[in-house]
Amino acid sequence: MEFGYVFRRLLSAVPTVLLVTFMVFIAIHIVPGDVVDIMLGTQNYLTESQIEELYSEYGLDKPLIVQYGIWVKNLFTFNLGTSLRTGRPVTELIRERFPITLELAILSLSFALLFGIPMGIVSATKRNGFLDNFVRVIGLIGLSSPSFWVGAILIVLFSGAFQDFNLFGYVRPGVDLLSNLQVMFLPSLTMGLMVAAQILRITRTSMLDVLNQDYVRTAKAKGVSTRNVILKHSLRNALIPVVTLSGIQLGYLLGGTIVIENMFALPGMGRLLLQVVNERDYPVVQGIVLFIGILIVLLNIVVDIIYTLIDPRVELR
Amino acid sequence: MIFVVILVTLFPGVFAQYDPYKMNMDAFMNRPTGSYWFGGDQFGRDVFSRSMYGIQKSVIIASSAIAISALIGTMLGLLSGYLSGLTDLIIMRIMDSFFAFPSLILALFIIALFGSSMTNLIFAIGLVYVPIFARTVRGATLSLRDSLYVKASKALGKKEISIMLRDILPNISSVLIVTFTTNVSTALLTEASLGFLGLGVPPPEPTLGGMVGQGTSYLLSAPWIVLFPGLMIAIIVLSLNILGDGLRDVLDPRINR
Repeated sequence: MEFGYVFRRLLSAVPTVLLVTFMVFIAIHIVPGDVVDIMLGTQNYLTESQIEELYSEYGLDKPLIVQYGIWVKNLFTFNLGTSLRTGRPVTELIRERFPITLELAILSLSFALLFGIPMGIVSATKRNGFLDNFVRVIGLIGLSSPSFWVGAILIVLFSGAFQDFNLFGYVRPGVDLLSNLQVMFLPSLTMGLMVAAQILRITRTSMLDVLNQDYVRTAKAKGVSTRNVILKHSLRNALIPVVTLSGIQLGYLLGGTIVIENMFALPGMGRLLLQVVNERDYPVVQGIVLFIGILIVLLNIVVDIIYTLIDPRVELR
Repeated sequence: MIFVVILVTLFPGVFAQYDPYKMNMDAFMNRPTGSYWFGGDQFGRDVFSRSMYGIQKSVIIASSAIAISALIGTMLGLLSGYLSGLTDLIIMRIMDSFFAFPSLILALFIIALFGSSMTNLIFAIGLVYVPIFARTVRGATLSLRDSLYVKASKALGKKEISIMLRDILPNISSVLIVTFTTNVSTALLTEASLGFLGLGVPPPEPTLGGMVGQGTSYLLSAPWIVLFPGLMIAIIVLSLNILGDGLRDVLDPRINR
């Protein structure tokens, strides 16, 4: 592996990460009122000097740029502040909830690849036929449908057809794997179908490009069976952009689970985010949004690196 | 289908049979019937009428938001692509940092800070899609910046802003139209998702996402409260996606094979 490229890629992400932290920091300070105002609310029984002490404790009496510097310094020690409502460290809250969101994202991506890739291959190999048109329509419907609507349809179908199916009530995999998978099945299927539509499209386009290449034409002329043309000669090259898209989708799934987590009452990061938004618990809102932003920047770097590993035609710069 | 959506957006009262806010006791949690085509919700309001006004709200919010994105994004993209250098670096780095966030999370963050109202919703969603327009217009501007007619305008001593607006902008209009259409559909999904999460236009205003969100508690006893508004969202977004695909085929010569 070109470690120089990896290092340069990580270095190029530093300005983006810094900008992300700055955006999140400044956004909170644009809002009228501050952390102390929220804490005190309308029940203000404190004296002026006590309020000043509070401001000093939270560093709000310092210039904005100094506050930003202190905040970034704290980030290096994984200190994202504390919840206004519970007093618990934000990092602890994220550590509790993130594994559930991660599990949902990974399972959703697995479903997406399971459905999307075969459908994309079928669509490309039967181009302009009935199957191709049918699959493309399904893909277009999938791209157009809101996830909460698809989730609602699946809940109605499954509750009717499978009465004993456990739809709600999250259980950690370490406690009871079977119950965990039962509860995660519908939410991950819902999200998976949404992403499958995109995977389908990119697989189809990529497969069509590869099938038009000279080396595939040569393989067919040599009498290689259609099955081997697809599986041995075309698939690996066609899947390169799919791998890239999957990596990018994983990042967005991690942030995009908020709707599904709330629909299926999963105690993940998305559900926590909505809860703290409604409670105006800004340190937690700030912490989660920042965490997601930095995670996606890092994930995109990983995707870039994987791409250079699997596609030998890509020049490392 | 798009034509029908436009008609409903402009004249929802023509299609709605009942007042979308009125509680009709005979419609309370009623199944779809001849009188109430999409049934009644948990407050006895006609779901069909609310869906028609919901379509109007959603389309207005999404279109207005994308109009804002197009305006700001186009200016940034033109500046970035034409001026290059430090301006390009700064603008694109800021746009890259926007791309670090899923659009729903970013919109939610903005709503969380400023509160949910129709204006804030339009502003929040609009801001989220600025980078897409900025990047697209930047790319298109870069490809035209060194063309002969732009060089001729420079040689004639035209001001840079005049070159950007009068020489480059008209020639990238097809890209803008396609980008606008395809992103209105995504913006509509974002608005619906925010409504579902209770961060959209506050009740009792009828919004499609809000109707689904409020109706989820009754999903198993009265699924029509959720399924029909969701279907409306899917139909509108599908129509816009088909329109966007069609416009791209017609206006973008590079993919016309």
